[in-house]
Amino acid sequence: MKKIVAAFLTLTMALSLLTGCQQGKAEQTEDGVTEIVIWHDKEDEVAEILQKKLETLEPEIHVTLEKKSDLTESLKMVGNNPKAAPDMYFFAHDKIGVYAEMGILAPITDIIPKEDLKDYMTNTIEAATYKGEIYQLPVYYETLLFLYNRLYMKDDDVPATTEELYSYMQENTRGGHYGFVEQHSTPYYAAGWINGFGGTVLTADGTPQLDSQEVIEALQYHKKFVDLMPGETEYATVNTLFKEGMAHATIAGPWLIPTVRESGMDVGVAQMPVIDESGQQISPYMGVQGIHVLKNAAETKKDAVEKVLRAIMDPQLEIDLAKASGCAPALNSCYEMEEIQSDEIVMAMKETAEHAVPMPNVPEMDVMWTVMGNLLTDVNMSGKDVEESAQSAQKEAEQLISNMR
Amino acid sequence: MKKCIARVYAAICMLVMLVMMVPAMTYAAEADQTRVAISVKVPEDWQDPCVWAWSEDGTNAFDAWPGEACEATPDNDGWYYVWVPAWANHVIVNANEGTVQTGELVLDGKDAWITVSDADNAEVSYDALTTGEIPAYVEKFTIHAKVDESWQNPCLWAWSAPDGTNAFDAWPGKAMKADDNGWYSVKAPIWVNSIIVNANEGSVQTEDLSIDPAEIWVSVEADGTADFSYKDPDKAEIPNVTVHVIAPDDWAAPSLWAWSAPDGTNAFAAWPGEALTEDGTWLVKEIPGWVNSIIVNGNDGSVQTSDISIETEKDVWVVVSSAEDYELYYEEPEVAADDATADSEPADTETTDTENAVTDTEPADTQTDDAAETATENTQTNNMVLPIVIVVIVVVIVAGVVVASKKKTK
Repeated sequence: MKKIVAAFLTLTMALSLLTGCQQGKAEQTEDGVTEIVIWHDKEDEVAEILQKKLETLEPEIHVTLEKKSDLTESLKMVGNNPKAAPDMYFFAHDKIGVYAEMGILAPITDIIPKEDLKDYMTNTIEAATYKGEIYQLPVYYETLLFLYNRLYMKDDDVPATTEELYSYMQENTRGGHYGFVEQHSTPYYAAGWINGFGGTVLTADGTPQLDSQEVIEALQYHKKFVDLMPGETEYATVNTLFKEGMAHATIAGPWLIPTVRESGMDVGVAQMPVIDESGQQISPYMGVQGIHVLKNAAETKKDAVEKVLRAIMDPQLEIDLAKASGCAPALNSCYEMEEIQSDEIVMAMKETAEHAVPMPNVPEMDVMWTVMGNLLTDVNMSGKDVEESAQSAQKEAEQLISNMR
Repeated sequence: MKKCIARVYAAICMLVMLVMMVPAMTYAAEADQTRVAISVKVPEDWQDPCVWAWSEDGTNAFDAWPGEACEATPDNDGWYYVWVPAWANHVIVNANEGTVQTGELVLDGKDAWITVSDADNAEVSYDALTTGEIPAYVEKFTIHAKVDESWQNPCLWAWSAPDGTNAFDAWPGKAMKADDNGWYSVKAPIWVNSIIVNANEGSVQTEDLSIDPAEIWVSVEADGTADFSYKDPDKAEIPNVTVHVIAPDDWAAPSLWAWSAPDGTNAFAAWPGEALTEDGTWLVKEIPGWVNSIIVNGNDGSVQTSDISIETEKDVWVVVSSAEDYELYYEEPEVAADDATADSEPADTETTDTENAVTDTEPADTQTDDAAETATENTQTNNMVLPIVIVVIVVVIVAGVVVASKKKTK
């Protein structure tokens, strides 16, 4: 009897050890349930809606959403290790190139036929594509928006062009108040001006373009607007200036809107002004949030992964996300529904997205943020010559990218 | 069983309490936004009546005594009105710049009519004692003006452009009240965007000033020229402070960049700021006392600390070890003569592990490490785990069998 007990205890200990090493990730439990682990970094409202939707797959498939604050770095560390990596992750599209080059991602079209993705907005699929393969199932996207405080800027005063914006800034930047503020020396924000000039920071094949004529012209033109803004314009400063009524208008993400509304502001959302010099709107980057499948899961749990993806493709899920968290749906069909058409913010994002540029998803973009940030500091804050600074930044970017390869 | 019943009972009680709290919390949130109209009738010698109001817990509805000025109620001679938050149900009616007042009156949190006979006698009614509607609540903002001595009895004329709606009945507008700091002040409705400050019965005036409806300070010269600021100019008169720095040896020509957060006002014209000058052991730079954020940088701004938050109006000492590390002091620390390292930390010290500031909206991290290589290394590390686990399991099984065998032998 004692021998049986000892053997039982031994087996229990062994199983416990094995379970610990699996980090909670079994291929399929003995009762036939397939476990799927999805990493994400989203706010609770988004995660709750996703979780609720994925619970409809129970009991056949049990999906665990794990919030990871350091998702990108963690994936770099364990993406190749099936025992430690998740099966899927929910994140912006801009890291696709990095992970595709690591060989840890499976194209979505390995699981969902391409023709089933026809309803997705073209630019969201474009954002999800790297070297001809679609690596992300888009769910929603974000763009920057032109926001204004209706206490100061009436709807009729909203500038349609950048020259109108400049005149407004000249008239209203006085006594410590600003007509318009933005994070002028932060690459993500300055990119809207560069894109609006027909320029690009980086080509699709990862070649930097910082010394191109379009980028130089954009920086030169943008400088006169910068001169009417505060010198320090990092995130907290700009948002506080707008929220506390010290700035009439700003360009910011939709995430700022609930905060300023809570402070009692009647905030308006408008189209980006058209740049007089180029005839194009200020064209900010678009970030597409969606789900990615790791190669191992695509190979070992294909059926379950397909069911998860098809659940996420449900338009109602995107509508629920829009209502809960202001997420702009990636599916065209959602915009035919009244619930979406009546949402001022989501519709403004849709209109802005028509001119927005998907954030580059090539690995080379990783080094561009720093180089471009330094270029903006040189031009906007140190008053250095635009052309020389752009050429110097271009050389630095080329060197850093060459080191990567 | 009794314990079980007690636990279930406690859980039900908690649930009921929570459910009951929800409407109460909702009501509290709504109540914050609700205002009630207080109408007052005061003795003839009570000029410019005001209402001071506060809540049961002592929260004041207005910034300072004597409280909010009352407005004359249209078509009701002798009556004035003021809007107060509904939660501020304790009031005092006062006048003559707060020199005469009633005692404390406790109201029901709804529109009230108060007839004041004298300082000791005031009667509250919840039945309307005026005719017509009380003008709706309109948010107001304060306009401060400092005028030349030759400008007597300044007034404010205010309107909304371009529709031309006037805030006050007739020129020269509303009289401004002399504050005890050399400024005059008056409130105007939030829809006003144009003002004129005038005086001497409207015979001298500024030009039309287009303004934002936000608290504003207007400085007026004798000839009527005016400048304005949305910040109190007197508050800007803060004495300079000195920043003392020890920078790493390899930081050539260290400079200081300084600004005020969150408004973003810079102390210097352009990055990288102004050079720090040698003063014994320390490099020093005098900066405006309102600065609350600095960056120490070197090599023409190519190396720098992260943003360093400092207290305003205080001299500071910053020992920078590297771009990532600095120590901040508000008293001079002892430092080794030939070493840029602090020996001791006085009481008022912040030691900070700095990180490069990254905004939470930046879409991509800027790491340039070789992701693939890192992942491979980690895969190899993780692959080592399995053999170790197998060895452990085997040892445990063997040990278990040995123990069982020994017991049997006995």
